Parts: sequence; structure tokens; C-alpha cells
Amino acid sequence: MADSSDIDNALIAKLGGDATLLALCPDNVYWDVAPPNATRFVIVSLVSATDTTVFDTRPAWEEPIYEVKAVMLKSANGDIKAAAARIHELLQDQPLTVAGYTCMTVHRNEDDPRIRYTERADNDPSILWFHRGGNYRVQMAVN
Amino acid sequence: MAILTGRYGEVLWDPTGTGTPAPVAIISLNAWKLSLKTDKEDVSCYGDTNKVYVPGLKDVSGTLGGFYNSADKTLFEAADQGTPGLLKLVPNSQTGEMANFWSGKAYMDADIDCTLQAPKVSGTFMAAGPWTIAP
Repeated sequence: MADSSDIDNALIAKLGGDATLLALCPDNVYWDVAPPNATRFVIVSLVSATDTTVFDTRPAWEEPIYEVKAVMLKSANGDIKAAAARIHELLQDQPLTVAGYTCMTVHRNEDDPRIRYTERADNDPSILWFHRGGNYRVQMAVN
Repeated sequence: MAILTGRYGEVLWDPTGTGTPAPVAIISLNAWKLSLKTDKEDVSCYGDTNKVYVPGLKDVSGTLGGFYNSADKTLFEAADQGTPGLLKLVPNSQTGEMANFWSGKAYMDADIDCTLQAPKVSGTFMAAGPWTIAP
């Protein structure tokens, strides 16, 4: 039985299982929000999701788009460029294995592919957070 | 009887055209359209207050659409056939509705449209014998 949440989990597991990425982002990979005191981590969020339906299978495939980004506190002195590059290396045109599905493609989204911005902390203007990564389109055929 | 969803539509094909074995559903389709248009001849005459027509022969044709699935090349095999197959079009294949369909012998043409998106297939068909509606 295909479960859409398993696609989310597989993406988190793939990123969290990579030693190179974890060396760059040692506070780990999280869905939507990181825990307090994390300063170098990866965030995965669901941007949108669509189902494509055919007569004999409902749906034929699922197509979520994920925002995947490295987030680093400026004072943590991390290499966010390398972290974003590693995320891209792990995901771009690489298969994602999920029970109940067959991977069709994983690639950076054609529209709005990149994420890169700096955020200033509301409570302290001297604190800066760097965000860098991309929006990745995943197409998974339902078995 | 009620208005039904099209999500459970079905397109079935028997390449032998005999119905034996029973037609098999073509997978990964999500659209079909059947056109039953009868030619009309204009027989309007002097003095008629509006145009008047008489019917000719009904033309049976239509289209299919969906996505390419390498597990089923029926549509393309059908397009290669020199002899007609039996086509069965079911608006809703759920229990109790499967008995409602159109069918008849048909010739098939096929197209595939491959872009960066999932490849789409489409087909056109035209009657090669009498078509019926069931029941």
C-alpha cells in the first residue's frame, strides 16, 4: 500500500544517512523545524503535491515538490555552499527508494529551482541565518 | 441510476476482433471520447421556412488518451494491425455499471508525445463494423 508520508520519510532518511552532508550539517536533517540550539542543519518541507490519475490506478503517480535547504547560523562558521552542493548531489537525478512506489525522477524543479537568502533574527539584529538549497520535484509511480 | 464519476472509465481491446477471448483493459489511460455523428443532407426547398435535413449514415469514431506505460504497448500494436479489433468503451467499471458500454470493431491509430514530462499517448479510432450500446 503506497503511503505518501513514506516518500517524505525516505527523503529525510536519504539526506540524514549521508556522512558527508552530516559533517557539514552536524545538527541533522529535520522536517519543517529544527530543535532549539541547532546551528547547522538541513530542513525539508513540502511545497506542493499533485496526483495524476488514470483509469486503472488511482493515482498513477504522486508528484510532491520539496524545499530542501541547509540552514546555518553565521557564527557557526559552517560551509553552507558545500552543504547545498551536497544536497544537490544526493538528490539530482538520483533514485529514491520507497515501498509501494517506483521512482520516476528526482530533480530540481524547473521553476524556482534555487533557495538562497539570509535571515536576520527578530530579537537580535546581529544574529544572521543563512539558507541555501533548492526545490526538488519527486515523481513516484504507485505500484 | 445516477451521474457517475469518470475516474473508473475503461478502454478494452481485443485484437482478434471476435470478442474471444474477452477484450482486455489498456492500462494507464485516463480519457476516451466517442463520437456518433450522422451525416445530414440539406434538402431545403423553395418555400421552406427553415432548413430541412435528412439523415445519412452515422459515423462512429473517437479518441483515447493517457500516459505511456512500457508494460502495455497494446495501443501501438493495435495501430500496426491491418485487421480491425474489438473496442469496448466503459464509462464506469464499478460493480453494477460494467454492463453499460459501447463496443464494436474498430481500426486504431496511435500517437506518443514525449517531452520532459511523462510521455503521453493518444489514439484515434474509427468503426470497422456495426457499433452497439449495451444494454
